[in-house]
Amino acid sequence: MPNRIRNLALLGALALAVTTAAVAAPKDHYLHIKVDDPAKGESVNVNVPLSMAEKILPTVNRGNLHQGRVTISNEDMNGADLRTILDAIRTAPDNEFVTVKQHGQDVRVAKLNGNLVVHVREASEDGHNVDITVPMKVVDALFSTAKKDELDVAAALHALAEAGDTLLVSVHDATQHVRIWVDSRSSQD
Amino acid sequence: MIVLGKIVLGLAGTAVAGAGLLCSEGMIQVNVVEKRPQGHHLHVMVPALLVPIGVHFSPRENIAEASAEIQPWLLTIRVALAQLRECEDVAFVEVNEPGQQVRVAKSGGTIVLDVNSEEESVHVSAPIRAMSSAVEELAAAAPATVR
Repeated sequence: MPNRIRNLALLGALALAVTTAAVAAPKDHYLHIKVDDPAKGESVNVNVPLSMAEKILPTVNRGNLHQGRVTISNEDMNGADLRTILDAIRTAPDNEFVTVKQHGQDVRVAKLNGNLVVHVREASEDGHNVDITVPMKVVDALFSTAKKDELDVAAALHALAEAGDTLLVSVHDATQHVRIWVDSRSSQD
Repeated sequence: MIVLGKIVLGLAGTAVAGAGLLCSEGMIQVNVVEKRPQGHHLHVMVPALLVPIGVHFSPRENIAEASAEIQPWLLTIRVALAQLRECEDVAFVEVNEPGQQVRVAKSGGTIVLDVNSEEESVHVSAPIRAMSSAVEELAAAAPATVR
């Protein structure tokens, strides 16, 4: 009987240790950037642990960046009230709500499955095809500051890490491919 | 004879302990190979512990400027180095282009830089702990008014 209790206690302690370790050390997520130019035989790969970026960013106070936030001027926004636009998007149902077609360019902005999705298609020979997918939680975090002219990049990075594996940006043109994504692997293999 | 043996043993023990202490923070490696005929091959390997010691004993006036310049970035550098120590091994940057490859990575407790071009190959590796110690020594060298 004492042996059984001891074994049970050991098993309980082991389960507790495993659970604590799992809770204490969540898997880090990485921001990956890959730029390929097959025609020139060039490639650039960047891998950044999100937790690292999230901790370092608030320590940088230079120019428009301070305490993990970026100040944006009205000139940068061309007078557009981003918060109002995003509020409208946030409350809108999943749907394709903006489609712009002009001069061989097809731009579609939609909210799909909790993501803000932007597709740009350019018809010209060297035109770009751009796909951007940003989880709405990340957008919310980006605009979570009290000040209207600020973006909270550190909070957005935190939300991005919690959002899990996501392909954020994909750009293709005639020669170059750019991909930006987040996953829990430290390499791009 | 026994006394002599004890002295030799003591000296050998001290040497081993000293070498162990010197290497306790790892080694800094610099390897440069020129690829032209009769090109130079430079290989330097020094105990990383010597770098903060070297900074500590450098004349203050020689490092005062560098020390003052590092002050605004000290917090960022400290946090970055702490995060580097904690994160798992990762290749931060890899650039491949015809005739040149560049790689910056963390491997173990070391930051590794590899550049391989048609003219030369360069390998530099430095332990993160030693980098932290060197930065702290450099920061401490700033005049009190700057800190």
